Parts: sequence; structure tokens; C-alpha cells
Amino acid sequence: MSTAPQGTHSLAFRVMRLCKPSFHVDPPFRIDPADLFVGEDIFDDPLAAANLPPILSTQLSKSMDSSDLTYGNRFLLQHPSDAMGFSGLLLLPQSFGAIYLGETFCSYISINNNSNFEVRDIIIKAEIQTERQRILLLDTTKSPVESIRAGGRYDFIVEHDVKELGAHTLVCTALYNDSDGERKYLPQFFKFVVANPLSVRTKEITYLEACIENHTKTNLYMDQVEFEPAPHWSATVLKADELHPAYNSSTGEVFKPPILIRSGGGIQNYLYQLKLASPDSAQMKVEGTNILGKLQITWRTNLGELGRLQTQQILGTPISHKEVELQILEIPSLINLDKSFSVHLNLTNHTDRELGPFEVRLSQDSVHGEKNVMINGLQTMVLPQVGAFASSDFHLNLIATKLGVQKISGITVSDTREKTFDLLPDVEIFVESD
Amino acid sequence: MEEPSPSPDPPTNQFGSLNDLAHELASLEDLATRGSWRSILDKVSRARSLNLLTSPHDHLIYLSYNVLAFSKLRRFSEASNEIDTLDDFNSNYYKYETYPRLYPNRSGSMIPFSLRFIHAQLPIKLGNRQEGLDRFYLLLKFIREKIKEKESNNLRDSVRIWKRRENSILNCLIGHHLGDKEFSLCLDLIKDLINRDYLDPVLVSKLGYIQMQIGDIEGAKGSFNRVETMLNEKRSYEYFLGEVQFRNLVNRNKALVYLVGKDYVSAVREYEECIERDHTDVVALNNKALCLMYLRDLSDSIKLLEKALERIPTIALDETLVINLCSMYELAYVNHSEIKRTLNNWIVHVAPDDFDASCTRV
Repeated sequence: MSTAPQGTHSLAFRVMRLCKPSFHVDPPFRIDPADLFVGEDIFDDPLAAANLPPILSTQLSKSMDSSDLTYGNRFLLQHPSDAMGFSGLLLLPQSFGAIYLGETFCSYISINNNSNFEVRDIIIKAEIQTERQRILLLDTTKSPVESIRAGGRYDFIVEHDVKELGAHTLVCTALYNDSDGERKYLPQFFKFVVANPLSVRTKEITYLEACIENHTKTNLYMDQVEFEPAPHWSATVLKADELHPAYNSSTGEVFKPPILIRSGGGIQNYLYQLKLASPDSAQMKVEGTNILGKLQITWRTNLGELGRLQTQQILGTPISHKEVELQILEIPSLINLDKSFSVHLNLTNHTDRELGPFEVRLSQDSVHGEKNVMINGLQTMVLPQVGAFASSDFHLNLIATKLGVQKISGITVSDTREKTFDLLPDVEIFVESD
Repeated sequence: MEEPSPSPDPPTNQFGSLNDLAHELASLEDLATRGSWRSILDKVSRARSLNLLTSPHDHLIYLSYNVLAFSKLRRFSEASNEIDTLDDFNSNYYKYETYPRLYPNRSGSMIPFSLRFIHAQLPIKLGNRQEGLDRFYLLLKFIREKIKEKESNNLRDSVRIWKRRENSILNCLIGHHLGDKEFSLCLDLIKDLINRDYLDPVLVSKLGYIQMQIGDIEGAKGSFNRVETMLNEKRSYEYFLGEVQFRNLVNRNKALVYLVGKDYVSAVREYEECIERDHTDVVALNNKALCLMYLRDLSDSIKLLEKALERIPTIALDETLVINLCSMYELAYVNHSEIKRTLNNWIVHVAPDDFDASCTRV
């Protein structure tokens, strides 16, 4: 990963990524004396049960004595959970690993003087270079390090929030006076690549469903996934009721299962219900682009290592704002073939001005071919004007010409100048014979 | 197997010392605690070739030590082959009642339980994880049947022993699932342990560590608070934990919370309290060294680990600690091979046979 130039430098950079350490886990071959010295059922024998424990416990307590200078602790089980091989011992990161957008890059940088002479007046710089920019992380120009003795070291730790994808280079440079008084320049480069950790797909109407997919190599613990609605909108997250709260009655506590997205393609969905904050903002809906808001995602990996991302503005599909709406209120439960039946409908004026008069008819839509449910009687029904935000009920006589499951479709309301306001969605009915 | 004639020991001396339990058991045990596993292989081989083992239980115990020695030396195929020389574990050959003259008034299996455990864990070490896990879950079922059987016969001591075995096997399973990052399974198994009344502060602390590993910091804090409550409610001996160990556990848990919040100074302070109370607390020593490094103090972190190895080698000599020290050497020195070689040479002289010296990456 490091490319250092050839040449006689007294100094050299050593670099180690300092992400969080991890817990070491490795179930060992550790034994309880009662499982090795004797047969497994020997304690059924009352003589053995009475006489064995002293011998066995002597062995164990010897190994637990801090003055014991044997390796008994590597072989005997001193506590049942020793069998887990998970003592809480932390292990330093053993490799650079993968790094993702939204995480924090942290590195230990050590500049060593591996010569036999002192070096002086060292100006050290550390920068991150990406395609787009150069970010300074450390610069000792204003107060250079006075000296580093032979065999000595100057250490620093740098942190950088990763906000770009792709190739990154950690550029470490040192400008120093070596033992001959010569001013030398040492650059060293450490390259790494930043990948995309998540993809977010959304689907919505007045509900927003976000599907988060994990592209990393580790499981992600979803700390917070929040939808920040745009002004005019309010959002409520919808959650399923917990199926099995791990409720332990003896301890009286709820053990909350974590939300973990599996590595390499695991998916978690989140559902939000969006409401307009006030009726006035209905105007915003009509005016074209419909910004709903952004998703803020915070996740954690090993030992709480934090990652954060925000999506771009999520847009809603332009909502067709209904000025006039047709709804079916009631359909008779029994509908007979070739017999007229009455359907109760409602027309609502959602605007702030009086509209109408209206015409309700069955649209001649060639896609559906011949209709099996038709208006009985006059093919156009005329309705008088309806005031602002008011509604009007009416009845339509229909007749079905075929048996079985049929559709009432194509009922349209328009104004007298042929402007269509609304098309009633298809409704299924069952037509029986007499 | 032919039934040999019983030795003339009167029954009351059967449990006087280790050597009453099996031929020269004290010597085997001594070698094991020193980590001299190669010597154990020699001793078993010698005892067999000189026909020093007379009774069936002697053979089984020696075989168990042999299998254990191979396993400790990471010679897993040989361990597996050795176990394969046995019949089915549940065969009558290995029952006390098959030899009434040798074991009067005794019945049941004389198989040392560790053989069953090793038999389950070996496939995992040999890379056949599914086989190993299957064996573990079958073993768990076997243990639970034994517990029921002993309970119905009112054999209280046996019940206690078999429950302890159930506890260990469950813990071992958690370790294996944890190593494979199957966190939900681990949490389920821990719930199982708690529901079976194996609730204990060390277990709850480990639950906290798992929660931290996942990233559920708030969950981990909750578990650690619970451990502190347990410390305040009950006497430590009721949890089979010494007072000092219990207090150190609480401090170490606190230190982890600080560490996760990047407050390394406070974490160091907690670990120092542990070390002051118990200078052999190797987890505190190791983790303090890591905190020093995250505080940019690489020199002191190296010194701390080196001193621990020097002062308390039989406790501090742990592969993870050595890996950490070597990582620090690699960061601190451009020419780190020399210093690592020095460490390696020292290890060779001091370490037990089962120490995996490849961890120095020399």
C-alpha cells in the first residue's frame, strides 16, 4: 500500500489504520476435571459423589491461585463461560479492511528515525487526496518538530470523515534537516478505495417505502433510520408489532432484538406514512415537483464504529390533484341479469370555487370492448352546480347483460364543455340469474 | 474386552488421591497443567506399549489425554483418528456394569465426558463446520436426556454435574456461532441459558460484549448495568466468582463503554483500577495497552505488554496479546523483524507446547 521513493532517507513513515479493535473469539479445548479423570456417570455412585469433589476442586483451585506458575488456565475450565473462548480481550485491526462512504477514516502515523543520527526542524504534513480535492489533516509548518533523535519517533493520529467515493491517497510528507545539514524531502503515499455501503430504493404514494440494501462485508446494526420530511409534510414511521418480545418474566426486562442487516446484499425495509401538514399546502401539490424529504441513515459496525449517510431529496410522483371526485357509496347486494339496479354515487368538489353543471356518462372506451354493464335509460345524467368544498349525492340506474363477475367501468364525470374531471375506478359486481 | 481381575484395594481408598482414579493420573495431570502435551503423548505411548494399563477405565482416560494432547497441539486429524478407534460411545464395552467384578455396585457410562465434547469440536477445527455443529446439537440433546433421567432417579449430584456440562456446551456453541457472526443465534442461545437459570454476571457481561460487537451500544450498557445490579444484590460467591474478580469485571465493562465512546483516558483509568486490585488481570493489561495506543502513546503500550510478559508469563502468554504486541512492533519499527525474532526466541523457551508461535509472524 505504501510507495516510498528510493534513496537514503533517515526518516520513514509507518502507517496503521485505527478502526475500532475487535473482540477475539475462539472456543478452546478446555476441560473440567470431572470430565477427564473419571467416567461421565460416576456420580451416580453415592460413594464417588461423596468422595470425588475434594480431589477435583483441589485441582481447579490450584490453577486459579495467582501464585500458580503453571499453564493450568489454558487447559482447565475455571468458569462455564470459559468454554465460549470470548474473554473480552481486544485485538488490534489486523488488516486495512474495507472502507465505506459515511465512515470515518482514522490512522496512526509514526515517523521513525531509523538512522544513527539526529534529524532537525521537521515539517510534517498529512493530506488526503481524492479526485476532487486535497484535504489537509495535519501540518506542523507553524511549529516544526525540533528534532527526532537516532532511533526515535514522532507519532500522530489523523481522522477524516469520508464523503467521496473511489480512490483516496493518504499523502505523508516530511521536510527535514538531516545530519549533514542537507534539507531533505520525504513523500510517502498510502492508497485506499472508498466504496458505497448502501443503496436506497424508494416507492411511494402517500406512503414511502424505503428499501436499504447492505453492500458491505460486515453486518450493519441500524442505529437510526429517520425520514426528514420536507416542509409541508409530516412523516410517521410504521412498524409491525413485535412478534416475540424477548420478555423474561424472571428478570422482568425486555431484551430488545437489534435490527441487523446481513452483509453482502441483506435488505431491510422501512415504511413511512406521509401527510400534508396543512390543507393550504394542497397548492404545493398542484405545482409540479413534489419534494418529500430525505432519509438520514446511521449505522454501526464492530464495537460501535459509526457510519452516516443522507440520501438526496426524495421526490414524489406528481400527484394528480382531483378537483372533482366521484365515489360509489352503495351497490345493491343482489343484482339480477337484465334487471335495472340503482347505484348510489357521490360527487365532491375539492376546489374553492363553485363548479358545474356536470355530466355523468359511460365513456366509450374501445380498450374494454363491449361493456356488460350499461346505464339504463338516458345515457347522460346532468347534475347541477356544486359549491366550493361541497358534495352532492345522486343515483344512477345500471343494467347488467351478462352473468357472473362483471365490472362497472368507465363512469366518467365531466363538465358541459367536455373537460373530464374524474373516472370512477372499476368496481366488480356479481350478476345472478332471476 | 476381557475382564481382568480386580486389584486388591479396599473400597475406601478408591478416592484417596488422583492415582487411585487412574494409573499415574497425578503425573498426567501435572504434565497437562504445565502444557507439556508432547510429553503426554510419550507417556501414553509408553504406558500402552509396556501394557501398564490394566482396567478399561485406565485405557479410556489415557485415550482421552491422548486425544486432548493431539487437539492442543493442533494435530486434529490424529485426534480424530484416535477417537475413531473406539466403538460407539454408548456401547456396552464402556459401561461399568459390564465389569461387575471391577466396579461392584456401579453402573452407567465410564466414557470421560471430555471425549464427547472433543468429538463434537474436532470437525469444526478440521474445517467441517456443519458436521461439528450437528454433533454439538446432538450432544446437547443427549445431555438433556441424561438430566431428565438423573432427575427421575433422584441422583442430585449427577444432575448438578450434567447441568454444568449443559451450561459449558451451550457456552461453547455461542462461541462458535459468534465466530461466524451469527449474532441472532447467539442472542437466542443466551436467552436460553438465562431461562434455564444459568444467569450469572460473567454471562451477562458477555452478552454485553456481543451487543457491542454488533453495534448495539445502548443494549450493551443495559447489560452492564444489570451486572452491576447483580454485584450489589448478591454475594459474589453465590455466582462462583471471587470478590476481586467481580469488581474487576464491573470495571472492565465500564472501560469498554468509555472505549467505544472514544474516551480512552477514562478507559485507561478503569483498567488501572483493575490492575491495582489484581496485577494478573491480563484482559485489563492487554486492553489498557490498546487504549494507550489509541492515545498516540505507542511506546508505553509496547512497554506495558513487554513488562506483563516478563512479570507474569504463565498468565500473560496469550496468542492475542502477542499478536497485539507484534502489530505494535510493526508500526513502531521500520526494521521490526529483529525485535520480533527476539520475542519469538523468548517464547520458544517459556511457552507451553500448545502455544501457537505462528502468531509472531516472524
